[in-house]
Amino acid sequence: MSESTQDKIKYGLLKAIDVSGFKVFDPVVRLAFGEEPKKQSADIAKYLITPMLFVMLCLGLWAVIAPRHKTKSGEVPTPTQVWDAAVVNDTLNEREDEKQADFGLSGAERDAVIAQVTAELELKEAESTELKAALLQVEQDVKAEIAADIAPLQSEYDALVAQGDLLQTQRKASIQKLAKDVAAKKIGSVELLQAILADSDVTDAEKDAEKLIKEQMNDVRSNPPKALKKARLASNAVANEAGHLRKRLDYLKTGNRDIKVAKAEDKTAAALQKLETATTPAAVLAAAKSVVSGKQTAERTAEQQYPRTATIWFQVKRSLFTVFVGFVMAAVVAIPVGIMCGLNKVVMACLTPIISVFKPVSPVVWLLIFQIVVGAFFPDPENHPLFTFFASLPLIGDLGVNPALVFSACTVAICAVWPALVNTALGVSSIDQDHMNVARVLRLSLWSRLFKIVIPSSLPLVFAGLRISLGVGWMVLIAAEALSSSDGLGKFVWDEYQNGSSHSFANIIFACFVVGIIGFFLDRIMILLQRSVSFDDGAAVV
Amino acid sequence: MTIAALEIDSVDVGFGQVDSRTEILANINLTVQHNEFVAIIGFSGSGKSTLMNLLAGIQQPDVGEVRMHGKMVTAPGPERGILFQNYSLLPWLSVFGNIELAVKQVFPQMTKAERKQHIQHYIAMVSLTGSEWKNPSELSGGMRQRLSLARTLSMRPDVLLLDEPLSALDALTRANLQDEIIRIWEEDRRTVVMITNDVDEAVLMADRIIALTPGPKATLGQSFPVTLSRPRDRTTLNFNPDFKTLRNKVTRYLTDINQEAKQLRKVADVTLPDLSPYDFTAV
Repeated sequence: MSESTQDKIKYGLLKAIDVSGFKVFDPVVRLAFGEEPKKQSADIAKYLITPMLFVMLCLGLWAVIAPRHKTKSGEVPTPTQVWDAAVVNDTLNEREDEKQADFGLSGAERDAVIAQVTAELELKEAESTELKAALLQVEQDVKAEIAADIAPLQSEYDALVAQGDLLQTQRKASIQKLAKDVAAKKIGSVELLQAILADSDVTDAEKDAEKLIKEQMNDVRSNPPKALKKARLASNAVANEAGHLRKRLDYLKTGNRDIKVAKAEDKTAAALQKLETATTPAAVLAAAKSVVSGKQTAERTAEQQYPRTATIWFQVKRSLFTVFVGFVMAAVVAIPVGIMCGLNKVVMACLTPIISVFKPVSPVVWLLIFQIVVGAFFPDPENHPLFTFFASLPLIGDLGVNPALVFSACTVAICAVWPALVNTALGVSSIDQDHMNVARVLRLSLWSRLFKIVIPSSLPLVFAGLRISLGVGWMVLIAAEALSSSDGLGKFVWDEYQNGSSHSFANIIFACFVVGIIGFFLDRIMILLQRSVSFDDGAAVV
Repeated sequence: MTIAALEIDSVDVGFGQVDSRTEILANINLTVQHNEFVAIIGFSGSGKSTLMNLLAGIQQPDVGEVRMHGKMVTAPGPERGILFQNYSLLPWLSVFGNIELAVKQVFPQMTKAERKQHIQHYIAMVSLTGSEWKNPSELSGGMRQRLSLARTLSMRPDVLLLDEPLSALDALTRANLQDEIIRIWEEDRRTVVMITNDVDEAVLMADRIIALTPGPKATLGQSFPVTLSRPRDRTTLNFNPDFKTLRNKVTRYLTDINQEAKQLRKVADVTLPDLSPYDFTAV
């Protein structure tokens, strides 16, 4: 490679890194091209490795502190558990993909898959039985171990109880004797009272000692050795996979769309035959009815789609779509209105009170208002043209656009509209007076002035506003989805919280990372757009 | 008598509320003949740019009239091409795009090919050929002002208004551009009003130099006709006695009126502290 092409590649890469806002990797590229190795290495150590170490430190702290905090929903999950949750969620998605494919298969293809899945299932079942046996063995071992550990504790406990009982009866007898003496006025009541008090103290102490041993025994029982946990996990994992394969077979053999259609068609054929042979009017009518219903069933079944359960990646897609819809709605309103505000002080004065009052309103309030107001437009959402239209679109159809999505998108829009509007107005009103003078000297018409001077000049600030808007929108969306039960990351988190299974907590934290990382990338995309329209080479704030 | 190219007729301009009004320009009268190159020279803050804005029509006088070819100037227009001090280029357009915007607006009847040729002609005139697709941010100060000049000239204005066009440039670039402007003007004569704060520049370029007295209430002072023959060569001009005399005359006049203005402005006597230096060497 010649020197100049190498330089071209290098500067191209550096530019790309700069524009996309990943300037941290700048020294890596420079080092790769052998530029000032000492300086670049120092920069890498300072700005890349140190932050990485810091992140590791945070992860380490998390891993150490999390298990020590017990909550109602179990321990706080460690980074490993969250990672496992991510893997599980991804597997769930893969399985849904497989089942969906199975549902639609037909003919020879299906037969081939059936053979393959059956073979896999056999293997898995064999493995499963093996693991189950192993688990049983481990369980027995552990049981024996625990029994051995518990036996001395148990005997100690029993001895303690027996001794306590004995002492208690003795104390009872002496108290009764004292009571008799008091009744006979042989002694005063003080002694009796003291004896009762002492008895209750001693009894409490004995009970505490017993409790302590009991707790020790419980500890032994509830903390099975790691080997058992491992064996259980392994067995469960394989059993889980076998279960999935069985379900696949189900979808291939009985739940398959083609098979269902064939069944319905068979039924129709039988009914037709019955219709031909029927003699009484009642029988003819019944047969004819069943022919019609059979035909309808066949038609309906042929159009049926696999009922996917919402996996995390589906929720991500739906959330992204919702935020996109809301963001576009916000931009479509904010940019023209912002331009009008920037151009005309009267418009600005009219809108200022509205902006000032509605800007701080919480998204939760907006969501409720939209559910009521916008909800009125969809009295029959199943057959509303808007939703049937969305359902007919290729990629978006699968997302299941429903009123809840519209409410969430509207909430995103109204919360995201303000930063874009205010920034656009600022961008337009702060146009360089010289540029306006150029427009005046050239006698540009209103439209040319708008499209050739005003908009290009305010674009960087407009995009800065849109970037803030998208960030706000993404943040608002998660809350809106949780509250409106619109499928998406917000609902995922909310469902997990309500679900309260042992994995839920890890899933919530996993979702937290997914939300954060997507938000990060959305921001980067906006930076990219902002930089591409900035003419003054001013670096956008990263 | 022929109608003057540009006329300013007893114009007053001020700003501020009624009770705290400051007059910038007072009783300005100026007549510029057809194809005449007039330089207006003055100190900074004397209202030079305001005067230029009046001529361009960007600003309207409070009293009096500005006329071009006998018609009152009420709004800016391409027939009075103004070259701004700070270039006023549109940073999101290329060199070509900046000129194209002006040409498209002023000559809408041009075909695409004609327009391209027209633009290229003016780019070549200011020696920017090869930089057509650069953005203003990629150009040096001198190149930017040349582009601004090309844009102004491409509108084929009847009157060219130069508002301290070279004051933001370094000395070498400045001399270079002076020569260029003169060359272009001599090729294609038209009425020019230039504002400057440089006496040499004014003497080198103009047919007539008019001083603007220091503000507030600035007005046009003495007028100095420049009778030096053209083309004027800056290298030999330095040894020309006429040039020297004129330059000294203008400079002295400007210094005098500045002194006068300063004295006028001195309102209150400042009492100085009663101190005398102490001689430490004696200690």
